[in-house]
Amino acid sequence: MNLPHYTYLTTDYQEYEFYSEGPKGSIKKLVTFAKIQEEPVIYNLAFGDADLITGQMNDSVTSNNEDRDIVLATVAHTVIDFCHHYGDHFIYAKGSTPVRTRLYQMGISGLLDEITLNFDIYGVIENAAYPFERNVNYEAFLVKRK
Amino acid sequence: MPVIKKTDSNIRYGGGAIVVPGLESHANDPFVVKKNEEAKLAVSKLVLPVSKKT
Repeated sequence: MNLPHYTYLTTDYQEYEFYSEGPKGSIKKLVTFAKIQEEPVIYNLAFGDADLITGQMNDSVTSNNEDRDIVLATVAHTVIDFCHHYGDHFIYAKGSTPVRTRLYQMGISGLLDEITLNFDIYGVIENAAYPFERNVNYEAFLVKRK
Repeated sequence: MPVIKKTDSNIRYGGGAIVVPGLESHANDPFVVKKNEEAKLAVSKLVLPVSKKT
């Protein structure tokens, strides 16, 4: 994958942080992976901003830092790094609200050709996963490195 | 909390993560715990796709 992305940092390849840069300034972003099922193994991807006061992750604020594609590409790179160290397992991701999930979907749609070079990506509708298609509204996403 | 200065060099076109010992863990942040619990419940009901691995 050759998309521009932010420099991202990790200690253990299971949690990552990077800084979004844009009109709103420098916004610290956090990505974590947590195993949520053993057989087959599925990890949950949690993604959000670091709260300015507590430093803890939340995704209740829409940053609007005009760099959505770079941010999404950076998250995709963290998935690649994570899989390299922990194995090519399913990774589940869902926004904290339908609007947030829709934002993720728009971002994935825009980068789909690049993303599918490295990942199989599925959209979830009513507890079933389908190959991701543009212009279909999904409730969550499932990715697995090829 | 680490600080990265706003420079163009923050954007890259390749390469992996930079390993920095001792970054703060967010695994137990309330938002993360809640998201993981919700995801655990959701995937327990999820019909997974057949792997397309060749």
